[in-house]
Amino acid sequence: MTDVFRKIDAHPYAWPFDGEWGSQDTALLLLGFQAGTVADLQAEGEAEIAAALAASARNTGVAVVATRRGYRDDHAPAATRRQAPGDRIFKVDTPEWQFVPTIGLTGSETVFDHQGDNAFHGTGIEAWLRGKGIRNLLFAGLPTDGLMHASQRAANDMGFECLAIRDACKGTSAARHEGQLRITAFGNGLFGTVAMSEQIISAFSR
Amino acid sequence: MSVFWPQDPPESLGKAALVVIDMQVDFCAPGGWVDQLGEDVANTRSVIPAVAEALAIARKGGLAVFHTREGHKPDLSDLPANKQWRTRVHGLGIGDEGASGRILVRGEPGFQIVPELAPLAGETVIDKPGKSSFHATDFDARLKAQGITHLVIVGVTSDCCVQSTFRDGYEHGYQCVVLEDCTAAVEAPNHEATMDILKAFGGRWGSVSNLQGFGGAVGGIHD
Repeated sequence: MTDVFRKIDAHPYAWPFDGEWGSQDTALLLLGFQAGTVADLQAEGEAEIAAALAASARNTGVAVVATRRGYRDDHAPAATRRQAPGDRIFKVDTPEWQFVPTIGLTGSETVFDHQGDNAFHGTGIEAWLRGKGIRNLLFAGLPTDGLMHASQRAANDMGFECLAIRDACKGTSAARHEGQLRITAFGNGLFGTVAMSEQIISAFSR
Repeated sequence: MSVFWPQDPPESLGKAALVVIDMQVDFCAPGGWVDQLGEDVANTRSVIPAVAEALAIARKGGLAVFHTREGHKPDLSDLPANKQWRTRVHGLGIGDEGASGRILVRGEPGFQIVPELAPLAGETVIDKPGKSSFHATDFDARLKAQGITHLVIVGVTSDCCVQSTFRDGYEHGYQCVVLEDCTAAVEAPNHEATMDILKAFGGRWGSVSNLQGFGGAVGGIHD
């Protein structure tokens, strides 16, 4: 069964660009919804929205992918030095590294682990998405100006058609959240488009 | 201990590279693509003298020098459909014929680096189809082959290809520094937002410095 969705009235253009999207060629990416990050950014509200999006995606057969960032002792020093408050990278297997229960993962999601901010770097996620025939990506993640945007940038270079879900992302400050999303949409969508979760859920449920 | 490099200085200046991003006619010269779109190239042009100064410091100090150029193969086989569509909405898209040849196509006049910053013999030019210099190029392989561990990044635009290359440089394990006075965006608010994001928390992916800091750092290391 394949559901075909109507275009999203996104900023700065109706998404996706050619109107081609359905349950078989789309994935919802939940990036970095980890206990420590949600606590640091006070992003419980954004995590609840991500959970609602994931539930809606599951109902329509849209793939849900969750990624988490963490360092190990044998990882590059670049990852291990990121201990400063604000946008910390947590050690694998610590409580702060775990997915926050709020996002309501069911075990049906595909999970990718990464040591830096770019979930497309060295994880195999691109090959996995291509193998599934997925070309449209919906981004929810923390923080907007860190892991989320680093990953959307990379996916955009790879030719994926990208949409950032504004209220399912939170920045390390309100100004950085807004600034990063403004840069995303600049030049008719330099890095993709921006819309609200309600627009996505509404498209899924029709 | 270094205030310029994110962690520690390179073992020698030969292990550091100056990376000049996309100082091409299409982005920062009259008659190029951005100019033909009716956008102001004053911001991107304004950093040409500062980038020239950074090049002089790097060449004098014996750093490796890399230049990048964004553009696509003439048959556009490396151009994603949504990227072409997105740019054509402006009226003049990638691959279309403009005043400086086909927009962002390899080999065309608009694709060339501005004459003020022309690469010298022995410097490496990386042609890239994306915003990150690491995407679909041999940039990482070339850096590793030369034993490079540290990158000093300048050029245009700060919010786009400079930010992408800086972030991915971190992912690939390089110590990266952006020179704030040697980079610009088409629109100033996007440049300011980018600098705020890159500087936050002491620099998550590397450090932000300037020409003076670069000159000091190069002067403080001897091969």
